[in-house]
Amino acid sequence: MLWALFSAHLIAVPAAVAAGRASMRAGLLAAAAAPAVAAVWAAAELASGGGPATAELVWVRGLDVAIRFRADAVALMMTLLVAGVGALVMVYAAGYFRRSAAGGTRFPATMLAFSTSMLGLVWADSTWTLFIFWELTSITSFLLVGHKHVEASVRMAARRALVITAGGGLVLLAGLIVLAQEAGSSALSGLAPVSGGAAATAGVLILIGAATKSAQVPFHVWLPGAMAAPTPVSAYLHSAAMVKAGILLIAVVGPAFAEVASWKWLGIAFGVASMLWGAVGALRHRDAKLILAWGTISQLGLMVALLSAGTAKAVFAALALLFSHALFKAALFLVVGEIDVRTGTRDIGELGGLWRSMPVAFAVALLAGGSMVGLPPLVGFAAKEAAIEAVLALGGVERAVVAAGVIGGSVLTVAYTLRLLHGAFGPGPSTSVASGGLLMTAPAAILAAAGVAGYAAISSVNRIVVPAAAELSEKADAYALIRWPGLKTAFVVSVLIVGVGGVAGALWASRGVGRLPAPVGASAADGIVDKTLGFSPRLTALVQHGSLPVYLAVMGSVAVVAAVVLATEFSFGHLVWWDSPVQAALAAAVVGAALAGAFVGSRLGAALALGAVGFGVTGLFLVHGAPDLALTQLLVETVVVVGFVLGLGHLARRFPPIKNTWRSVRIAIAVAGGIAVAAALAASGSDPAGRPPVDDLVSGAAVEGGGKNVVNVILTDIRALDTLGEVVVLATAAVGILALARARSQGADPS
Amino acid sequence: MSEPRAPAIERGIRIVSPLAIVAGVYLLFAGHNNPGGGFAAGLVFGAVVILRAVAGIGRPAYAFGLISLGVLTIAAVSIAPVLWGDLLLDQRIGSWELPVAGEVKTGSALPFDIGVSLIVVGLVSALVDGLSGPPDRGPWPQTGRGGK
Repeated sequence: MLWALFSAHLIAVPAAVAAGRASMRAGLLAAAAAPAVAAVWAAAELASGGGPATAELVWVRGLDVAIRFRADAVALMMTLLVAGVGALVMVYAAGYFRRSAAGGTRFPATMLAFSTSMLGLVWADSTWTLFIFWELTSITSFLLVGHKHVEASVRMAARRALVITAGGGLVLLAGLIVLAQEAGSSALSGLAPVSGGAAATAGVLILIGAATKSAQVPFHVWLPGAMAAPTPVSAYLHSAAMVKAGILLIAVVGPAFAEVASWKWLGIAFGVASMLWGAVGALRHRDAKLILAWGTISQLGLMVALLSAGTAKAVFAALALLFSHALFKAALFLVVGEIDVRTGTRDIGELGGLWRSMPVAFAVALLAGGSMVGLPPLVGFAAKEAAIEAVLALGGVERAVVAAGVIGGSVLTVAYTLRLLHGAFGPGPSTSVASGGLLMTAPAAILAAAGVAGYAAISSVNRIVVPAAAELSEKADAYALIRWPGLKTAFVVSVLIVGVGGVAGALWASRGVGRLPAPVGASAADGIVDKTLGFSPRLTALVQHGSLPVYLAVMGSVAVVAAVVLATEFSFGHLVWWDSPVQAALAAAVVGAALAGAFVGSRLGAALALGAVGFGVTGLFLVHGAPDLALTQLLVETVVVVGFVLGLGHLARRFPPIKNTWRSVRIAIAVAGGIAVAAALAASGSDPAGRPPVDDLVSGAAVEGGGKNVVNVILTDIRALDTLGEVVVLATAAVGILALARARSQGADPS
Repeated sequence: MSEPRAPAIERGIRIVSPLAIVAGVYLLFAGHNNPGGGFAAGLVFGAVVILRAVAGIGRPAYAFGLISLGVLTIAAVSIAPVLWGDLLLDQRIGSWELPVAGEVKTGSALPFDIGVSLIVVGLVSALVDGLSGPPDRGPWPQTGRGGK
């Protein structure tokens, strides 16, 4: 079933391109089909409660290189969110973009490609599979963030997101390799607990990778910039999908690091810092989308801190928050997008009075905002209660640190939510509003209504969240979300949070929106990105000098150095003068032609002399009984000589004069290189390690490859992987030549 | 080419071209048991391309298509076995009784070799495309030295 769903997504990508040719709207609606099916499947699977579906595609069995999928309870919950929110957002986007919007072939397909990568990431059951899809989400998200790529600031933001998340992916890869070594398996399910120095290293590396993806301080700088993306992208990637990848990773590998102190404390540090700094950022900004983005940083920090604390109750609460956050944050983004489309601005200083002109959006924003703050009767309330209870149940220093972060962050959350709702919908300059459409309203309303329905039918939410938590932490199935906790400490704390936050928010909002805040950290991050990209051409210019003689000199020198290793094996004992006198004659001809090529002054003469060398070698191959080599050599020489004739038309007839010192260097390198290669060949024949495998190859060729020409069976069957690599090199070179030729014919400078 | 063309050479190349292509196809099929193979066949086809360019008969226009087709063929042949559960690049061999030819034996190495020969022709065509043409197209673009 997993393969069927995954292939359906893959097939739907070109289908979305085709539909997008007609219009952006058709493409988006076509793209929404596959995620919708996946979401329904996940819901059905959760309802049936059977064992996890698995699927695998093995490449190299011995090395454990395979694509492995496993849809356990955690993966099913994430599938429901990723595919469900994805389908809704794509429908929404069909209303968000103008009918004539450009990029119809590109945007829907990229969106679906992202959704597919996310599905692979969620289902991944081996470290390698996880990494591949992790990086694919980085790349597809780069394309989506950079959708409006004509603007320089958008390109910069997309690049920043790519460099940070893909760079974090590399750190993650290092961590995953160490983890797989330590745990003795690349499987992610049932990961054995690890401990010790290597495990601590792996833990830190994986956490950094997760923190870049989930926008944790100080790696959060890409997320506000990524708001340059069209709002549907933000609603999807930056609420339900991509930023949740880091949370999912921490949740899935967390049990293995239960004993590792550095894992726990680094995670808590990331989480608490992000919770507070994200909330402060949300209070500083006036762009509604940026407020939501900073809020996301804060909420993700809450989940990271809870997961790092690692108790069963905390893990349960984190998953409950993850679920409710995906619903309310996506709904809020969709509302902000609708406001943007219908009023032309997202600045809460310019907006106001929308409660009257956009009543449905106002209702959605109230429900989603209430869920974000943690008010009943909304699912966010139940999740927040669980989180506060879990924090209060922690012990020692952890309790103090995490509680300070959670309570402080929650108070600020109440404040910035109030400020956002007040600024956009509350009293103020009545903004003129264009008409909207059902395509935009309905998905947001569905998501907001899901928050209410989830509270009303809390047992169905528990059927999603509790098995997922139990998958990660055995004792977690003792917990459940409840509608009304009664007068417990946690409830009192959350009443205080809402009270204090409400007052603070009201005061802050009444103060006006203030000036645009100065960005903190973004310019430093851009500086690092710029320096990295600037270093690349300088390094390239140093290594890729561009002068052919210098390249040849380097290659010759390296050959000399490489041959030194073989020189110790050299012996004269096995050398004979010749097998037949014809070889002597041919060898003399080859040497003569080579000397002629070195001394002749005209380019054409040198090319012909080189051709003569090649034809002489062809003769040597023939005499030695290697018709295949001879044939290939003959053909190569023919093509090369004729190619020279073609190419020399562009050059002067004679070689340019060169300085004597440079000439002597070249002669020295050439002589040394020639001697080194000859010596290496002689040495490699002097001491064969055991019996040569010729007989095995001949019988193997006939049995396995079904051919009598051993050379060709080696090329196409026994060593086909080598051939594959070689022809890819050939094809790459050919494409490079074509690109150069095209640049020249257009008279354009390729750099 | 700027040189005046030699009619005899041109006519000769026109006559030889189809023969050479037949020879290349023979090499492609013979490669499994006798000297030949995809690389050699590709070079023979490439020689035809390059000779026709020298004689001024025509310049190759399909280099990119040939390369793409070759890479796609090879990728398909390589990955296909994985899809039915074998190892990457695993070969399948089959033999058929055909009415005229008698028993014909072939394997998935044949499409692999065809892909190789397509890439080689594509490479040669790209070279010809890069090297031929009027010299007044100006010098090669200056690369290296970190030039902007």
